[in-house]
Amino acid sequence: MKLNQIVLKDILRRKRRVLYAALGVVIGTMTVVGVLTIAYAGENRIYGQIEKYGANLTIIPDINSIDTKLGNLSLGTLTVGENYISEANLPKIRDIADGEIRKALDINDNLPIATIAPRLYVNAPVRGITVIISGVLPEDELAIKNWWQMSAGKYIAADNEAIVGAMTAQVLKLKVGDEIPLNGSTKLVIAGILDETGSSDDYQVVVPLITLQKAFGKEGLISSIDIRALCNACPVEIIATALNQNIPGIKAIAVKQIANSEMDLVTKVNRLMISLAGITLIIGVFGVVNTMMSSVHERTRDIGIMRAVGASRRQIMQVFMLEALVIGVIGGVLGYFTGTLLAYGIGPVIFEGVSIRALPQFIPLSLGIAVAVAAVATVYPAIHATRIKIAEAFRSL
Amino acid sequence: MLEIKNASKIYGDGAAKVTALDNVSLEVEKGGFVSIMGPSGSGKSTLLNIIGGLERLTSGEIILNGERIDNLTEDAFVAIRRGKIAYVFQQYHLLQSLTALENVLLPLVFYSANGKTEKAMELLKRVGLEKRVNHKPNELSGGEQQRVAIARALVTAPSLILADEPTGNMDKKTGEEIIRLFEELNRDGHTIIVVTHNPEVARITREVVSLQDGRIVSRTKNVGKG
Ligand SMILES: Nc1ncnc2c1ncn2[C@@H]1O[C@H](COP(=O)(O)OP(=O)(O)O)[C@@H](O)[C@H]1O
Ligand SMILES: [Mg+2]
Repeated sequence: MKLNQIVLKDILRRKRRVLYAALGVVIGTMTVVGVLTIAYAGENRIYGQIEKYGANLTIIPDINSIDTKLGNLSLGTLTVGENYISEANLPKIRDIADGEIRKALDINDNLPIATIAPRLYVNAPVRGITVIISGVLPEDELAIKNWWQMSAGKYIAADNEAIVGAMTAQVLKLKVGDEIPLNGSTKLVIAGILDETGSSDDYQVVVPLITLQKAFGKEGLISSIDIRALCNACPVEIIATALNQNIPGIKAIAVKQIANSEMDLVTKVNRLMISLAGITLIIGVFGVVNTMMSSVHERTRDIGIMRAVGASRRQIMQVFMLEALVIGVIGGVLGYFTGTLLAYGIGPVIFEGVSIRALPQFIPLSLGIAVAVAAVATVYPAIHATRIKIAEAFRSL
Repeated sequence: MLEIKNASKIYGDGAAKVTALDNVSLEVEKGGFVSIMGPSGSGKSTLLNIIGGLERLTSGEIILNGERIDNLTEDAFVAIRRGKIAYVFQQYHLLQSLTALENVLLPLVFYSANGKTEKAMELLKRVGLEKRVNHKPNELSGGEQQRVAIARALVTAPSLILADEPTGNMDKKTGEEIIRLFEELNRDGHTIIVVTHNPEVARITREVVSLQDGRIVSRTKNVGKG
């Protein structure tokens, strides 16, 4: 027989008291696991949105307003720059983007890396209603919007084909095979209808870039460029800076920056929740101290017996710390499960529409916290137990 | 083997001051069998407790096998309890969560990480409990529980056994059986000091020490016993 067997037998005899002590541990770990699971889901939702956005980088025309001055005399404000980017910039953009990626990832070949999808927007009436018509390079566009699904028909396969967003198709009553005129002359055939995406794509008509440029006399012009680097380690910010420095008249923005403000909010909420979890953890510690203290009182006689038959004070300490370990493990397991349930329950309330997933990687964390809480909370009661005098332990009855 | 010199124990101070032991001197030889008698509150338990290190002397000396033990630290006393002195209590003091066998093994758990089951079984057989080894204390009678406690006291082969009213909670017949067990143990060479109210117990010991108000009032050798 060993000391830990004695402890286990004793725990089995006092199941209820031990579970009660474990409850204090559960409350703390449950909150921590719950909060972390929700926080993780909240951050993940933003990453998911970035991912869904498709691009790591967006380029738009740079429109500056410059104060014109002659000496100290103000001559008013002048808007310079254009609402378009010249298509001639595309090779240079590719060079810079791929060049930075090669540098960052140590790649030596010259194959194209980033997906570069230029786009021209034109507002024009179709069947009497003004819609946004996007001119795209069909293959590159699809590479970026890889979640696009057709609800009917096929994707663009020829210069005179178009696809329409779900809402546009519904409002304009468009079907696959319908013909729509573009700016009077050019005729386009609807090749397919996009499944609903929940984004602005639902309201667009998507046509080949060259067709749109020709129809509206905008040859060589584009409105924006999306760049997708398709790697996590890609130096998106560096690419953006390099593009802004080397190509005049454009403004490159890393999509991360757009997400940053939303991420800031999530981080703040998370921080608040984590400090709340910290407080429950401390409350839990006091709860366990309390239960352990009554456990020590309850077992004063047993402590006296053990001491009388030769237990050292250290061994009495060991008895209680072993009990703390058991309480910690029980509390950690229960805390993980209840914390996950808690996250399922209130996660969607805190971050609207967030989808909670159980995170098994928090099991060791949960156990660690629970055992630490139980151990910390047991130190004082255990020291108290070692100080009990044998004769007094027996007299107290 | 045991020598007590001018031992005094005073509890509290001022108006609440109680002199539980007042300048007591006593020696017990190896193989001795001493009973301590006296009215309630006369200091019998206190005397036993200071020998066993359960309580500290106010003044005086206790010498066990030539070594002073009254001034030992708490931790040093642990070693003495483990190997040299064992206790048998009136209330048995068994751990309720453990079986008879486990209770007997308990001192060995603290002594040397692993208890020797055969030895514990042998002792339980010796006290006549071989059929009760897996019973918990609440499934045993008072007499049986005290036998378990005696087997537990013997498991570390102590040189001195201290028993505080070991038959105090028993009917006459059961008490007699326990007395006989102590008698046998003494015959086997164990040194025993037993506190008792029971004249039957006193009669079988070799020496009867009578206490009153913390003082030894008489020491009687039993004829034919020592
Ligand atoms: N911890 C204590 N504090 C104060 N007085 C005590 C304490 N323990 C014992 N006493 C007193 O010391 C005296 C001797 O007690 P004790 O040795 O238990 O007597 P006995 O065992 O002979 O009945 C009694 O008057 C008792 O009240
Ligand atoms: Mg007494």
